[in-house]
Amino acid sequence: MNGNYELTLAVFYCQNVPGSDEGERRILEKKYGKALRLFPLPCSGRLDPVHLLRALEEFADAAYVVACPKGNCRYFEGNSRAGKRVGKTRELIEQIGLEGNRIGLVYGSKENPETLSYQIDKIRDGLSELGPSPVLKNMK
Amino acid sequence: MAFMITAEQKPVEEIREMIAPFKRILVLGCASCVAECAAGGQKETAMMASALRMAARMEDMDVLIEEMTIDRQCVEEFVIRLDDVIGSYDAVLSLGCGAGVQAVADMYQEIPVIPALNTEFLGETKGQGLWVENCLGCGDCMLYYFGGVCPLARCSKQVLNGPCGGSVDGRCEVDSEVPCAWQLIIDRLTGFNALDRLENIYPPKQWSKKQGKGPRKIIREDQQK
Amino acid sequence: MVKKTGKRSKKDYQGGSTKVNNGSQLKRVLENGEFAVTAECGPPKGADPEIVRKKGELLRGNVDAVNVTDNQTAIVRMSSLAACALLKQAGLEPVLQMVVRDRNRIALQSDVLGASALGIRNLLCLSGDHQVFGNQPDAIGVFDLDSMQFLQVVKGMRDKGVILGNDALQTSPDLFIGAAANPFADPKEFRVVRLAKKIKAGADFIQTQCIYNLDRFEAWLSMARDRGLTEKVFILGGVTPLKTAGMAKYMKTRVSGMDIPDEIIRRMEGVPKEKQREEGISICVETITRLKELKGVNGVHIMAIEWEEAVKEIAERAGLLPRPVFGEG
Repeated sequence: MNGNYELTLAVFYCQNVPGSDEGERRILEKKYGKALRLFPLPCSGRLDPVHLLRALEEFADAAYVVACPKGNCRYFEGNSRAGKRVGKTRELIEQIGLEGNRIGLVYGSKENPETLSYQIDKIRDGLSELGPSPVLKNMK
Repeated sequence: MAFMITAEQKPVEEIREMIAPFKRILVLGCASCVAECAAGGQKETAMMASALRMAARMEDMDVLIEEMTIDRQCVEEFVIRLDDVIGSYDAVLSLGCGAGVQAVADMYQEIPVIPALNTEFLGETKGQGLWVENCLGCGDCMLYYFGGVCPLARCSKQVLNGPCGGSVDGRCEVDSEVPCAWQLIIDRLTGFNALDRLENIYPPKQWSKKQGKGPRKIIREDQQK
Repeated sequence: MVKKTGKRSKKDYQGGSTKVNNGSQLKRVLENGEFAVTAECGPPKGADPEIVRKKGELLRGNVDAVNVTDNQTAIVRMSSLAACALLKQAGLEPVLQMVVRDRNRIALQSDVLGASALGIRNLLCLSGDHQVFGNQPDAIGVFDLDSMQFLQVVKGMRDKGVILGNDALQTSPDLFIGAAANPFADPKEFRVVRLAKKIKAGADFIQTQCIYNLDRFEAWLSMARDRGLTEKVFILGGVTPLKTAGMAKYMKTRVSGMDIPDEIIRRMEGVPKEKQREEGISICVETITRLKELKGVNGVHIMAIEWEEAVKEIAERAGLLPRPVFGEG
């Protein structure tokens, strides 16, 4: 694996996740620069899975959703529906030979709700073994 | 939106094999039945196109893949709207049902129209994410006699004088997920106090109304211009 | 006691054989008030006629007629019609089983004529196990007619000399017509209604699913009696000797439409492995003994699956031998 390589991550996050307001978002964007693109959602349930695919198609080595804890969705089942849809989308990318973990969804914990920053770090850690996406290799 | 026909996506590998020779592909969705069963609607079409583009890129294949969704692929009046764009492509990958695939193929006979879906059955949306077959299109509806439960579509052995005796706890012996249609019929008719309808022996089905002399046709002159 | 099988009598036949000793032996036994005995023979998964003949020999003299199954469990075997013809050639009395799963009405009616032409005089009209259970799960299940309609069609061929649609036959088939009944199936309240329908459709005799729960069987029989059905049809109670406790448990839990009381399982488990066949046969014999006492039961159908050797012992111990032999006239 190329030591110079930094994973470009697209994160679709629910705006109800702690630490995701304008200010915190700007801090994150500054910290990661090109390696992170953030997309707010009023609820993770509003995610259209095609956005994950477009992200992978256009710029991202991985595209993740950060959702509220199970049982804590403001719109009740939004986050669990999102989880199922992400699961199905994972099956689709595996069918074309992409590693399934290039997309995913993380739920917060009810007892210790984590910040967006924490979740992003956790996602990046989990993907530390993942190489650059073969989809992007031919792009400039 | 009328929902009648269900379908499921073919494995992507199978689709890729079929589209392999082509360089300019239109991925065509349908906003009707296949959208209802989440197989070929606008969303699914966008996802399929994206996945196919990524797959091509991973293999250094130079191919144009664009998507579009029309209202109904099985109605000529909608298909004809492709006239302006169809010339840009050398193949169409249709996410319509078999009827839609063929309608498009008949309209644009010089372009291969490839099915991305496996069309399955006539049925109902029983609940979210659940579709079940309930009609065979037999051409001779007998639902009145069976309390609104079709013994052809819903009985594994198409018994018209059932039950067959293999059911357990109201479940079909062939698949315990399947309710015994005859148990349903008996319960239903009992509820209507019409169980005596089952004292008659129903005569053999006129399968010619389903199979006929090749593909069936309906012509209504009062509906024509 | 000579049973009246509906309104039909020999003089209603429009054709078929008139020689008494060319008619159905099974029918003769039943009409003479004898307790009839039939057994089952499964054709081989192959083309060797010797296998059929050997099975026939095991049963000769121990039964009145031999049922030959029709691609049972949807597993491809030598055709029932062919195996019946082989048994007939060997001087045995076959009961042709025909399922509606594999053939449309043209083939079914055609085979009915063929069976009669080959001297086969007994026919059992069945639905058949669904094709998904067998070794050809992708086959289409024909189910053009159901077993009830098939009964009606065969009766029309025999008694009116017509096929479905009323075209006349040159010669009617001569057949004693049977159907299956399952006293243990769901929905329970409907079983006797179904039996009545089968009799109306044309069944002269019934063979039931194998009986282990005699109380429940008697309850069903009693309902049939109340409806006058036992006067209209011959009933042969089915029995199957258990080979092992494992078999008993499997049948109890995995085979639909079967009722095996815990008592039976306990008995089978209560004896050492080497003695289990013996116990299975004993249970079978006891069942037959009880069946003989029941009013409305006219015989027994012994289904010793792949264990045709057991039939002789069962028949002997149940006091069913020797079988009656009828001379000319």
